Amino acid sequence: MLKLVRRGIVANLGRLILTLISVTLGVAFVSGSFVLADSLRAIFNQVSEDAFAGVDAQIQAVEPELNSGQNLVRFDGSLVDEIAALDEVEYAEGGLFVFEQTYTQDADGEIVRPQGPPVFSGSWGGPSPASAFTLLEGEAPVGQQIAVDEAQATAGGFSIGDMITVTIPIGEPEQFELSGLIDFGEGGTGGAFFILYDLPTMQRVLAIDGNLVDSIIVTASPGTDTDDLLAAIQTKLPDGLEVLSSEEVIADQQEQFGTIIDIFGNVLLGFAIVVLFVSIFIIYNTFAILVGQRTKQLGLLRSIGASGAQIRAMVLIEAVIIGVAASIVGLFGGVGVAWLLKQLFSTGGGSFPDGPLRILPRTIVVVVVVGLLVTLLSAILPAIRASRVSPLEAVRDGGQRERSMRFRILAGGAVLVPGLMALLFGMFGDIEGTAPRLASIGIGAALTFLGVAMLSALFAGQAASVLGLPAEAVKGITGRLARDNASRNPQRTAATATALMIGLALITGVAVLTESLLRTFDEVLEESITADLFVFEEAQGLPFSSVVVDQLGALPEVGEVTGFAPVEAKIDDNVESLSAYDTETGSSVVNIGVVDGAVEGPEGLGTDGIAVLAEKAETLGLEIGDTVSIELEDGFTTDLTVEAIYDEDTLVGAAFVVDRDLTSPHLNVDNVGFVGLTYAEGVDPEVGRAAVEQVTSNFAQLSVQDNTEFQQQTEDQVGQLQIVINGLLVLCLVVAFFGIVNTMALSILERIREIGLLRAVGTTRRQLRTAVRWEAVIVAVFGSLLGIAMGLLLGWAAVVAIPDTFISKVGIPWLSLVIYLLVGAVLGVIAAFFPATRAARMNVLDAIAYE
Amino acid sequence: MSTNEMAAEAKAASKVYGHGETAVHALRGVDVGFEKGKFTAIMGPSGSGKSTLMHCMAGLDRLTGGEVFIGDTALTTLNDKQLTELRRNRVGFIFQAYNLVPTLNARENITLPMDLGGRDIDTAWVDEVISTVGLADRVTHRPNELSGGQQQRVAVARALASKPEIVYGDEPTGNLDSRTSAEILEFMRAAVDELGQTIVMVTHDPRGASYADRVLFLADGEIVHELESPDADLIYDTIRNLGDGGPVLGDHD
Repeated sequence: MLKLVRRGIVANLGRLILTLISVTLGVAFVSGSFVLADSLRAIFNQVSEDAFAGVDAQIQAVEPELNSGQNLVRFDGSLVDEIAALDEVEYAEGGLFVFEQTYTQDADGEIVRPQGPPVFSGSWGGPSPASAFTLLEGEAPVGQQIAVDEAQATAGGFSIGDMITVTIPIGEPEQFELSGLIDFGEGGTGGAFFILYDLPTMQRVLAIDGNLVDSIIVTASPGTDTDDLLAAIQTKLPDGLEVLSSEEVIADQQEQFGTIIDIFGNVLLGFAIVVLFVSIFIIYNTFAILVGQRTKQLGLLRSIGASGAQIRAMVLIEAVIIGVAASIVGLFGGVGVAWLLKQLFSTGGGSFPDGPLRILPRTIVVVVVVGLLVTLLSAILPAIRASRVSPLEAVRDGGQRERSMRFRILAGGAVLVPGLMALLFGMFGDIEGTAPRLASIGIGAALTFLGVAMLSALFAGQAASVLGLPAEAVKGITGRLARDNASRNPQRTAATATALMIGLALITGVAVLTESLLRTFDEVLEESITADLFVFEEAQGLPFSSVVVDQLGALPEVGEVTGFAPVEAKIDDNVESLSAYDTETGSSVVNIGVVDGAVEGPEGLGTDGIAVLAEKAETLGLEIGDTVSIELEDGFTTDLTVEAIYDEDTLVGAAFVVDRDLTSPHLNVDNVGFVGLTYAEGVDPEVGRAAVEQVTSNFAQLSVQDNTEFQQQTEDQVGQLQIVINGLLVLCLVVAFFGIVNTMALSILERIREIGLLRAVGTTRRQLRTAVRWEAVIVAVFGSLLGIAMGLLLGWAAVVAIPDTFISKVGIPWLSLVIYLLVGAVLGVIAAFFPATRAARMNVLDAIAYE
Repeated sequence: MSTNEMAAEAKAASKVYGHGETAVHALRGVDVGFEKGKFTAIMGPSGSGKSTLMHCMAGLDRLTGGEVFIGDTALTTLNDKQLTELRRNRVGFIFQAYNLVPTLNARENITLPMDLGGRDIDTAWVDEVISTVGLADRVTHRPNELSGGQQQRVAVARALASKPEIVYGDEPTGNLDSRTSAEILEFMRAAVDELGQTIVMVTHDPRGASYADRVLFLADGEIVHELESPDADLIYDTIRNLGDGGPVLGDHD
């Protein structure tokens, strides 16, 4: 038995290697997802540990329940001296740490910043056992001095002793002397830039009133154990502060990183599963063809006494061997995939810290199990079919028997109908929340794919025949042969085409989704924005000081100016996100679609009014005139009257709107998320814009954009995201591509006599190649059309399921669809290259003397 | 013999497989010509080289020594593309089985060589051939809807439809029962007599060979005997004598 399996594998090595590649690609993606996530986790863990090496405890504010800007809460820095005075304490240092607040400028006045990672600014007391920073060169900064990391110095062309222009959050840029170069921990900065000041300078630069810090790091005196240290510190702590051991701080940080990395890893894994799903079709198809081709041999085995179970085992053992081989290759291929993914995300704007790639035991186990399962799952049906071959097949002449279409219709229907139902349920069903809706659509999509894959065999023949008409019209008899060959075995054409279908369906779905998103966004911009200019933080939309609003308001060129602040507050005891803006002028820059009541007027909402999103109002049962209570960050509580209901929240991004007059005095940091403004009457837009940019030039992180630029930037961002997603989905196409190569190669081996005949009666090699190539193109185009149709369905389903506030319009990217179809056809041409060459090279005599 | 009377000719044709000790001499300097408008049968035991000779003379295989001609064209000077075009335009084939492309119907199979060459099809001639082989009501059928005999008739029609200079048959009746065989052979005979077609056929069936004008006997890569218009009994006797009385007929190689 095993000998037969071995011989079978050796005899079909070429065909099985292509199958192996299909499994390997999927498995490698799984492996790569784990390897990348594990490696990132290891790197970040190392970074946290390095940063806190030498620190025994850290004092920080207790995370407040309401924290609008996600800022670290600052406290009185005089505590540092009290802590340092403790017997148990060897060293204590207060610190201030912010990001995207100060920047260095190079000689040309350009801001020096990395692509993607942030720029940190912080205080540094100089080299100490507790410090996260090491001094590479020069001195620690004192007074009007800074220290920066090496990468930043290189990027800006800075040398120690240079005077460097540094932009600060409020006020004119200042000159600082570069006192030294630093490194973060031992493992580098992970791509981020650092600018370090001494503590008083940092406080001055950030315009902090008084001696405030956001953390104190502590080193214990020799011989003091951590518990004693923590207990001693605890006695000195005022309310609202806590002390954590370094282990706790590190664990805390690692958990935060871990959560992000987990999400990232799971997204990758999701893509990997899709790729595996595609490869199942390819593996199934290969085994089905191999079993079909060996019908005679199997019949012979049966006639000399092999049981059905033995035949089944034979096929499955073959699958196991392929599965194991693919898993092993895929495991190591995963390292390559991880590397590629790093490159992909780097081009997509992200950046990854450097570090070794890790293969954990868990990865090995998962990969081998997944590889095996996928291969076995795909081989089960062909194995069962093989075991049903009757001994008579050995003597019966002729090819494979036509299998019953009835089973196919029943089974396909049994999968397709629930699939479509799940899809419809996700779109229109009574489901709370978007995630479950999309989950229902996802399950529906997977089942629909399966169902279509099974049922497409019913019409694959006719479809290929119709799609082949142009080939016949252009290429005559060779086109005719291609057309006939593409339609002669509908099951095979269907299985090959559906592998391609899935990849293209997902890519099309994503294209529909992004197109719809952009369309919706365009509409929102048109309808809800009346501002001439917007000001916001460029890199990540971070909040910035509201001083900007006041400065812009003071400009004569500016008419109305409104700052929009994201605020966390308790509404009737529930923590909610609010948008606080200057409601008395807000309607001149943004239209939130008020459907009832009003937010405007001389006072706007004032300090006693609130506007509620229609959907939210319905959920909470709120109407105009109702009263809600609000609690702000500092504990201030008051009652508000519902004065308006609105239904356009895309721009404000919150279900409640209040006036900034209400919230500003009660926030820890009075920041705004973005600013909208109009020009004063009669002001030339160019003049107005120049005035605004004069103000924002002091805030290097801020970007000024008008409607068109804003729209363009959003399109660019969405486009980049689409590139990354498509980069991942391309692997599906690669797997499908190998599927076409495999099927074509197997089909040609099957038709070896026919090819010999064609050559004997005068078909040139070139004509033969043409016929094979067009056959592949017909199959590929069939798959692409199915995929595009499915993609349109999926995209539409997702658009319906996603709340209208995100996507309300269905957009169909026609140009992209045409391109996808062409890509599919080209894939067919390329996939046919090897099988076509092989068919053409076939020796005429070998072909007619075959058997 | 002058070449213009010959449809095809072999001069000192030799074919060796392998090298040195293991070399197998399939053809050992065969000189033979096939006259235009004649029906020739080639017989011989398994491994006698009869199929090799036919393959080489049809441009399907290449000699290792000597020369073969179709008309005045020396095949050894042709590259693969020229050989292919020669087969398409100047030679017809009838194989033992798998003669037809399964996806094309009977008529499409018959016109296939001309379609491949992009030649204008002489419809009247094709119709005549089709009706002569008695397939007029079957032309739109696919091969799997035809009986074995009908399939071979389509194959014969295809071989004739392009008006080739010579038609080669590789055991064309090997897969057929005797009654159907007779039909096909009679038809081939008629093609020679009435249409002036040149036909060369490899066969191991003495009854089949008796339809030919001339029967060549091959053994060990050489022509060992030749009969003009023999009957089946004479052929049987010849075989028996050549083979030392043992059974000399095997499967075609």
